[in-house]
Amino acid sequence: MKKMIWFTTISIIFLLFLMPAVMASVIKMIPAIDQPGYDGSSRVSIYGVYEFKQKFVSKYKNLVAVGTSIKNPNLANKKEIIFNLYNENNDLIRSVILSGKNIEDGDFVKFVFDKVDDSTDETYFFTISSPTSGPGEVIEVFLIKPTTEVIEYSYNKETKEGGAPLVTFHKPDSIWETIKLVYINWFSRLLSLGFQKTL
Amino acid sequence: MKLTNKFKKLLLLALALRLLVSALLFHPDIKTIAFQTSFLKKGIINIYPYLANNKQNLPFKDGFVYFPLTYFAIGGYQAVISPLLGEDFDDWLQDARANSVVNNPNIFKYLIFLKLPLLFMDIFVAFLLLKFFKKKINGEKAFTLWLFNPFTIILIYAFSNIDLYPILLTVIAFLNIKRKNILLGAVFLGLASCFKLYPLLFLPFMFLNGRTLKEKILSVLIPVSMTIVTMIPFWSKAFIDSALISGLTTRIFSPGFSVGFGESIVVGVFLLSALFFYALIINKKIRLFNYWIIFLFLIFSFSHFHISWLLWIAPFLVIKAVQKPILLWPIFFWVVIAISIPLFYSDRAMTISLFRIYTTWFDLLPTPFVVLQKIYDPYNFQSLLHSSLAGLSVMISYKLI
Repeated sequence: MKKMIWFTTISIIFLLFLMPAVMASVIKMIPAIDQPGYDGSSRVSIYGVYEFKQKFVSKYKNLVAVGTSIKNPNLANKKEIIFNLYNENNDLIRSVILSGKNIEDGDFVKFVFDKVDDSTDETYFFTISSPTSGPGEVIEVFLIKPTTEVIEYSYNKETKEGGAPLVTFHKPDSIWETIKLVYINWFSRLLSLGFQKTL
Repeated sequence: MKLTNKFKKLLLLALALRLLVSALLFHPDIKTIAFQTSFLKKGIINIYPYLANNKQNLPFKDGFVYFPLTYFAIGGYQAVISPLLGEDFDDWLQDARANSVVNNPNIFKYLIFLKLPLLFMDIFVAFLLLKFFKKKINGEKAFTLWLFNPFTIILIYAFSNIDLYPILLTVIAFLNIKRKNILLGAVFLGLASCFKLYPLLFLPFMFLNGRTLKEKILSVLIPVSMTIVTMIPFWSKAFIDSALISGLTTRIFSPGFSVGFGESIVVGVFLLSALFFYALIINKKIRLFNYWIIFLFLIFSFSHFHISWLLWIAPFLVIKAVQKPILLWPIFFWVVIAISIPLFYSDRAMTISLFRIYTTWFDLLPTPFVVLQKIYDPYNFQSLLHSSLAGLSVMISYKLI
């Protein structure tokens, strides 16, 4: 029975105190924030010449992905969905192409690209378009009011405040950095400091 | 039983491990159940039509899938502890946002309080196990094995397993049956059925076990009537849809293989009836305790079970492992295989999501199902595991019968 007591104690301690480190070690990118809430009633349709352009601020370095929720009603869009990332001077710096076939209606879709190193507090634009799709194959992006990250969007030649409920993702400097952040978050909440430390 | 210092230390260690798991691992079911049962303190007696009729205005749309006694037991406890948890507790219960729920600074306190009844029942089961043995040393072995195995700790506290209510009652039932108090055993089996239906499926064996015709009839009639009596006041379409047509009934009675012309052999029923007729025709003087284990083995071997169901058999396997040390390792492997199967379901809440309290960044990680998918068909893998489980169940059952 002694062996069983040791086995149980070690298993539980491993599960509670070391397993999170093992899990953190395989995280390849960290979200800057939780996705802002959206009610779903306000959205724009993307197809053909109708593209969506978003201005946003990357709060942290090593920008490696941008994610937002996309509607693909009845999974009608099976065409190419093109994501282009531009810097503040409107120079194209990254481009990602996904297939509509892989996007379920309402999915949170991450556009993952090569790391942008010096992205801290930099302003960027991205466009989402699906130039080969017709009016029966629309995808839709939800809209929210402006936040510190989501600045303004352009659609159908109009520019307005706010935009997509987006999340930027950043590559951590090292595995240890991620593990450290996970434990700092956890301890801070255990001590009821009530804050979530980020990158 | 007078607790020695060694026992007190063991008990303290057992409590510490349980409180840690309670506070740090989170399965969303506990919050859903706490939300639904919170309506009792607001005066709602019949929860089934209430949830169905107010679906549009509620943050959670699910029906209450448990029986009325579960609603009153958990809801009643919550009514008592709510003042201790403060007003924010109700806001937390109403919160349907996945991230703010786990980032709430009070979540550790909430989880410990919500899981506290499980802790009491868990320790109660440990003390009941002592009474199944004539030799004190064997009782202490069972007590220790129940408290110190990672499986039950995870099954109870990580998955917030409220099946522990009927499990405690089935343990009391079998303790009474062991002491030849058959009818009192039937009462506790009936009480267990008021929480979860599965003990009712065992009643044919209770009938066989009765010593007289009167005892046979009563040992079936008592549990059935108790279950019906607690259901009648709540009988409605909402109750039938959400609670009565449960996972158990649909999974056990789902068709196995076709015999043509629309007919199928339902494997679970086929094997349970084979066991019944074996007991009736061949075995005659049955050992009810062993039949209970075999009965549960058949359910797990031939149906797509929920991980929380595995706890149904746990205290009885502990007893059996102590009674028959030769079965210790087969039972250990049975438990490992059985727990592994649901971990490979395509359900984040079985694995990764349990750790969301540490950070919601874990949402970015793939589940074991997705990882396995890259090298092998996960459904095939589950089938291999389940087939091994069935084979091992047959072997252990053979030793028990």
